[in-house]
Amino acid sequence: MASDPTKLNKTKDIGIPSIAMCVARIPNSGRLIFGSSDFKLHEIDVFAEKPQSTAFGGEGHQSYVTGVVLPTPNVAVSSSYDGQLIWWDVEKREPTRKVKAHELWMRRLVISPDGKTIASVADDMQCKLWNAETGEMLRQFSDHKAMTPHDFPSMLHAVAFSADGKFIATGDKVGHVAIWEATSGSKVGTVEAPGLYTWDPKQRRHSIGGIRALAFSPDNKLLAVGGIGQIGNIDHLDAPARVEIFDWQKGERKHELNNDKFKALVEDLAFDPASQWLLSSGGAGDGFVTFVSPETGKVIHQDKLPMHVHQLALNEASDTLFAVGHHKIVVCEFKATDPPPAAPAEAAKS
Amino acid sequence: MTLSRRGFLNVAAIGAAGTFAADMTRFDMLRHSAWADEAKKQGKRVILLWLAGGASQLETFDPKPGRPTGGPYRAIPTSATGVHISELLPKMAARIQQTTAIVRSLNTKNADHGGGATIMETGRIKDPGIEYPDLGAVCAKELGRLDSAVPDYVSMYTSTEGRRKGGSGFLGSRYAPMFLSESMQPENIRRLESISDLDHQDRLALRELLAKKFTQNRNSDSLGSHTQAYQRVRGLMASEKLFDIEQEPAEMRAKYGPTQFGQQCLIARRLVEAGVPFVKVARAWWDSHGENFETHRELCADLDHSMSALLDDLKDRGLLEHTLVLTFGEFGRTPGINASLGRDHFAAAWSATLSGCGVRGGACFGKTDEDGHKVADGEVGAGDLFATILSALGIDPLKEYHVGARPVPLSDFGSKPIKDVLI
Repeated sequence: MASDPTKLNKTKDIGIPSIAMCVARIPNSGRLIFGSSDFKLHEIDVFAEKPQSTAFGGEGHQSYVTGVVLPTPNVAVSSSYDGQLIWWDVEKREPTRKVKAHELWMRRLVISPDGKTIASVADDMQCKLWNAETGEMLRQFSDHKAMTPHDFPSMLHAVAFSADGKFIATGDKVGHVAIWEATSGSKVGTVEAPGLYTWDPKQRRHSIGGIRALAFSPDNKLLAVGGIGQIGNIDHLDAPARVEIFDWQKGERKHELNNDKFKALVEDLAFDPASQWLLSSGGAGDGFVTFVSPETGKVIHQDKLPMHVHQLALNEASDTLFAVGHHKIVVCEFKATDPPPAAPAEAAKS
Repeated sequence: MTLSRRGFLNVAAIGAAGTFAADMTRFDMLRHSAWADEAKKQGKRVILLWLAGGASQLETFDPKPGRPTGGPYRAIPTSATGVHISELLPKMAARIQQTTAIVRSLNTKNADHGGGATIMETGRIKDPGIEYPDLGAVCAKELGRLDSAVPDYVSMYTSTEGRRKGGSGFLGSRYAPMFLSESMQPENIRRLESISDLDHQDRLALRELLAKKFTQNRNSDSLGSHTQAYQRVRGLMASEKLFDIEQEPAEMRAKYGPTQFGQQCLIARRLVEAGVPFVKVARAWWDSHGENFETHRELCADLDHSMSALLDDLKDRGLLEHTLVLTFGEFGRTPGINASLGRDHFAAAWSATLSGCGVRGGACFGKTDEDGHKVADGEVGAGDLFATILSALGIDPLKEYHVGARPVPLSDFGSKPIKDVLI
């Protein structure tokens, strides 16, 4: 395999003044576009000798930037708590289009593998699909209740495309996941992960948690759902990072993974294209990264990261991760060791 | 502690007369009786919405949008010109001018749950030599009626985290709260199942007959007190229905909404309408060290809806001009956002609100700096807030109780009411 999680090695640790909430990577480069708590998009080349971030200009967002995707290397689209989608010219770092997309806070933005469709989710509990080129809304759908069973506003944090772009999954605060056919907007499945939602009826009388991350396996059969386990003291993120893996078409839960090393919230998930590992990352006070085998559910490797991670991007070989989060950007490599060079005699034979 | 000249003269006079009593407060009451009686006559009441655990001022009444400390939520305009609050409180935003004053410049100096709560319950720091009464007990004493058939002070705290009963301190148990923690219905005031209502009435008649015979030709304070105590217990028993929101039309219950806090606000309205002078409704638990923004999304929705419904209902019934509705807890929250996207304890620059009775709606007093780290203008402490509360109720905050020979003003020494928020 091209990657080896056991070789995880932090190669860059870059301080930034704000909290980076989301990231997209310009292909075949170290150039990251990240959205931030300062309401701005920034670009940074993490492979530069002295990486410096540069803020995008123009009339941008009015709140935290919670999602960014790249339909083409020169076009970025961002989402925010302000309910707007903004298209950007990456080279000029200027906005080119604004769309009022949702009535309430937008939580996540993802793009289809072919780069043509964008999916957004927000606390209006709607998932909306957008033409990445024209900005036209294609359709919207929801299977998520506006209120929790305890009469408080629910939230819709997570959305993911399947690897072939045919399906979309959306996950809400109380642990309900709906799977949709992307072209028709028809609901084709649901799974439930209530273990990610903690309601405290007695001590503190509010809730915490919810589904924060979703990812389909490369063959589209598995759906990983991430968040945090049941919390005793909901003042803090004081429970194991939790991932559940479903065979969503059968509606079966394959694995329930409570991380015994990290008490934290899972903010992002990514499958190895070769299906050797599922990567989860997130944090509480600090951050973490964990690789598990999707087949066995066993931990392959896990390590601490120096900040709460809000999102990560992988390179083309899926052997380097670019994590953004609380006042930091970190790059970690986990490349498989090159095979030892062949002996001269053997080389001659071949 | 400073002894005021007036306090000294009172003590001297009392000492000379040799008439010390366990509860010395009654002497000072004589001097202030006209004022206190007037307050009682007007039926002033208080509902304290206690935001237990410490609500964030930045996500409620002192937003800092666009600043590094501001968080993701916008500030929205209110009905008061130039006053903006968090977008998490849209219903309250529409009611500020008509009902509510905001104090944005509290510096209460203690960011520990217990210490902060003591300060904000009593309006002063703890003194090992004296047990101060909390605001509820003071209001119960100042606004309650001796002949009242309803409780003077009801405190609801149903969550367990940070639960505090509050207390009447040196004022004595007469002014201690009826404390509801396990249920929204008071316990142990219901007539025993084994005694029929008819038996209950017969017992009352017999007791009155015997008491009347016994008191004939006897003139004793203690006899009167005994009768009063009995009547009070009967009143408390009869007040059970006040706690039953099923007595309200479904439409009214719907206005307050389905949450426990909303229902408790409805009970609070029923209680003040029946003459209870002080009701505390604790809404726990705002201690958002992690996920501050999600926590406030939930809790502010509850506060916004319940508080708005309460103010509307009080106004519709003509009660708001006599009822002071307060919001505060033990402290606010840090402007800095921690790695768990939480905010921690913070007492140096935070907010409280006063609505209704005696309050200039739309007033916004004090200012914090651009990131909310410090008070930039109009710094006030807990004592000043308490002086303001008492003044809004028509109670002289300089009035003194006496504990032994020690004068204790109702609001802390040196405190002053915030005149800008008072009518």
